[in-house]
Amino acid sequence: MEMFFHGFMQRAFLASFSISIIAPILGLLLILRRQSLMADTLSHVSLAGVALGLLLGVNPTWTNILVVIILAIILEYLRTIYRSYSELSVALLMSAGMAIALFLMSLNQAKTSVNITQFLFGSIVTISQEQLILLVGLSIIIALLYVFFRKPLYVLTFDEDTAFTAGLPIKRMSILFNVLTGITIAVSMPIVGALLVSAIIILPAAIALRISHHFNGVILIGMVIAISGMTSGLILSYQFSTPPGASITLVFIAIFSLTLLFRTFLNIRKNRKTVV
Amino acid sequence: MPYITVRDLAFKYGTETVLTNISFDIYAGDFMILTGENGAAKSTLLRNILGLLKPTQGTVTIAKLNNQNKPLTLGYVPQQVASFNVGFPSTVYELVQSGRFQNGRWYKRLSQVDKQHIKSALLAVGMWDMRHKKIGDLSGGQKQRISIARTFATDADVYVLDEPTTGMDKASREAFYQLLKHSCTYHKKAVLMVTHDYHDLQNYANRHITLTRKEGTPWRCFSMDSCKELS
Repeated sequence: MEMFFHGFMQRAFLASFSISIIAPILGLLLILRRQSLMADTLSHVSLAGVALGLLLGVNPTWTNILVVIILAIILEYLRTIYRSYSELSVALLMSAGMAIALFLMSLNQAKTSVNITQFLFGSIVTISQEQLILLVGLSIIIALLYVFFRKPLYVLTFDEDTAFTAGLPIKRMSILFNVLTGITIAVSMPIVGALLVSAIIILPAAIALRISHHFNGVILIGMVIAISGMTSGLILSYQFSTPPGASITLVFIAIFSLTLLFRTFLNIRKNRKTVV
Repeated sequence: MPYITVRDLAFKYGTETVLTNISFDIYAGDFMILTGENGAAKSTLLRNILGLLKPTQGTVTIAKLNNQNKPLTLGYVPQQVASFNVGFPSTVYELVQSGRFQNGRWYKRLSQVDKQHIKSALLAVGMWDMRHKKIGDLSGGQKQRISIARTFATDADVYVLDEPTTGMDKASREAFYQLLKHSCTYHKKAVLMVTHDYHDLQNYANRHITLTRKEGTPWRCFSMDSCKELS
């Protein structure tokens, strides 16, 4: 119980609650648009943003946000060029992002080594009041955008050509979506770490997709899974002094395995009943 | 005034011209079929008309208003819709219902009229009884039907259909053609449909365009014969 009285833990729980609201919305859209790897690319490039901030002596959160916004726009452009094999642009930018991050870090090795580790693996104690406000604000914006635009988003994710014919500004919507995903990754990275932030965004929606076959149902169930997974992960991280990103991801993997087992069990039971 | 006007349209993929000298009009009440051999750039022509591709030459003009002076709307059934994302979390009803959202109705609640349109569209393609099924569990032909139902539910002025009857049996195809003819004749909808089923359709459609390769043009370059009036 004592952990709930620490200021940094209260901030961490509030931040994880905010991420839990955002993650299933972005996660579902990323999965359905076959862009799951985009989150990974953005997180790798985020590191370059952090390295740039540390090198310039500027708050890395802001350089990070700036870099991912630029990248999110480039990604959308490349996705339209390589329409049939969009993973090519993802692979290209992921390696470019990592290379730039390593290059910038090596230029400023003495100062950056400690800080970069925090951004790679995440840390409960690193979340500042400023980052928390940013995250809460972002979750409110994304939740409101989802509430207002859920019908256009449904059509956009089902089929872009149909959405275009229906009069939707698909290019602007895609860029806005990429930018919001980028900012979410940039702001969540200090807590969960660059290496696992994409898993935390994708996994709740991936699990919920196995449970519900309604668009809104997946998002709501995803939020419940995200809240329980992130809270349990944070508690584990506090108790065992393990990296929060890894602890949360392991909880999500456990939930995923359980739903898989439960589904298999249900299918076996159903098949037996049919035979009888 | 025509709903769609195509003038001297040409289109290139990179440096290769695949369409040239395409000109025709589509009016309210027209049921126009578009035929041509495999690879004749029929889908490319449709995508140029819809604005999904930009013509390298010529123009496509879509009327702003329909014949009741309301904003003109388009409904589109893409080719190979059966390959759509099988994991998409939606029931048949939800997908068809999404056809009612567009045309400025994104933020409105569904009215009784909307629900009636959805029901009629599902009944028309014989999928009403399967409305609660997950779309990923449907067969290829059933997916094709719900995609058509979704387009019907939009109640658009112009239906652009790219080989919509792939995977349908003969009886379903003929019922579908009958329905299109009825929509054109009595509701003044316009239909532009890519098909390989010319023989059956000549009893339903009123206009026909064929894309053919002309002597002396590059091997993948197609242009149209004159637009034929059918009985």
